[in-house]
Amino acid sequence: MENIDPDIPQPVEADATNPVSADAVPPVTKENEPRVVLTDADAKDGLAKCARCGATEIALNVATGMLRCGFCRFEWTADNAMEAFNLNGDISGLTGIVVGSGSSDIVPTTEEVLTFKCSACGAEVVIDTNHSTQARCHWCRNTLSMNQQVDNGAVPDMILPFSVEKSTAVERIAKFVGKRKFFAHPTFRAEFNAENVMGVYLPYMVVDINAHARLSGQGEHQTRSYTVKVGDKDQTRYDADLYDVVREFDMHVNDLTVESSSDRIDQNTSQNSNNIINTIMPFDVENSVRYDSNYLAGFTSERRDSNLDQLSPIAHTQAEDVARHRVNSTLTFYDRGVRWSEEEVDVRGQRWVSAYLPVWLYSYQQRKSNGKTFLHYVAVNARTGETMGSVPLHQSKLLLVSGIVQLVGTVVGLVLVAVGI
Amino acid sequence: MSTAAGQIFAASSSDGDGGGFGFVFLLSGFLFYGAIYLRYRNVDKRHKHESETQATLQNVQEHDAFVTSKKGLTNRSMSGANNTAVRGMLRKFF
Repeated sequence: MENIDPDIPQPVEADATNPVSADAVPPVTKENEPRVVLTDADAKDGLAKCARCGATEIALNVATGMLRCGFCRFEWTADNAMEAFNLNGDISGLTGIVVGSGSSDIVPTTEEVLTFKCSACGAEVVIDTNHSTQARCHWCRNTLSMNQQVDNGAVPDMILPFSVEKSTAVERIAKFVGKRKFFAHPTFRAEFNAENVMGVYLPYMVVDINAHARLSGQGEHQTRSYTVKVGDKDQTRYDADLYDVVREFDMHVNDLTVESSSDRIDQNTSQNSNNIINTIMPFDVENSVRYDSNYLAGFTSERRDSNLDQLSPIAHTQAEDVARHRVNSTLTFYDRGVRWSEEEVDVRGQRWVSAYLPVWLYSYQQRKSNGKTFLHYVAVNARTGETMGSVPLHQSKLLLVSGIVQLVGTVVGLVLVAVGI
Repeated sequence: MSTAAGQIFAASSSDGDGGGFGFVFLLSGFLFYGAIYLRYRNVDKRHKHESETQATLQNVQEHDAFVTSKKGLTNRSMSGANNTAVRGMLRKFF
């Protein structure tokens, strides 16, 4: 943190006197029961004030990635989450299941509407955690923030602040769509306005995995290729050596990231375009900070609604994919490929942390002629700027042009086949 | 140089089938539709977790044992090879 007067008291969220570390992890009480790292140990609900002037008008300055007071322009940042919670600890020593307290199971019966007593004037203010973790007191105009974790998944362990500004996102979305206008649906072309992009914090689980893997199967190494005459045609034949292959290794997977909103997990591309949001990963989650709802000011957020039990299978399957692909670097000799018949990936330790990750999202609801609707997205990773999107097609125009291409191609193809090319 | 399977003319990786280029043109309309559909809708795109996730391997033990030699295989790659398979895709086409 630069340019800070040492006489100015540091913000409460940067309190170094009460760090949360792995030492705070309680001992395992039962086998396979997750150990919980309390990531909101010193979090306070209510007024989060500027350390310099005491104002509660606080928001993220996207240009610097720091929180900024709306009155005196003082800037500060929350602690790096990885360091604060010791989440960057040695993965090789990871055993059992460790979870951040913001990743704990969601309790369905928990009330989603919480009532706060305003710490400034005493009025009662209601926060609907389904939609927000902040509210403004209607009497004294102070902003009330909810930073403590309630059991409904509204407050994650950490948050990765926006660092790509809206103007950049608008530019990237306009450029992406601009390259796809010819076959775009005319209604979409008429209604498209990149300025309608919204900043959204989406919920993810970030997982570290310590595993031991053993893969066994067979691999083939090509020794020769040659051409043979079969009837009137030339065909290629291959000779290869077959080997039994075994690879056994320890694997440390760092920051595997999976969606934790059930809506986003569903990536059936005939029903939705959630794969677009999935595509803009990965994020630099190592730069996440401890959750502070002031980072949400000016942005919207989506609540996590999936528990570790629901997300474990997909995370472990993805870890197996990582193992299969990483070990390919030891299989270059087998240039015809390897057929694994047994894959054993023993997960010895895993660490789960829930995170809000930033996305600039342009969404467009397409109304189809059959009355159904389809939601298209153009998404920008608000850390890396990676952009991906889905643009509604003008089907009749595309079919017409494809038909013309097919007609011309058929004529050319018949001629080429006739002359044997 | 000859084999029981047929006469060998030259070592080559070409399929050697005449008219292959012409058949591509016969499918040009379908290929064009597919290419434009993917460019606009990007249904094939996803996060490549298998390669984009940080991971390290340690204590790697390798055991390789020769089994046999195979002659006259018709496929360019091993039948049933799955060392590049991806099973943890959240994406579903249907």
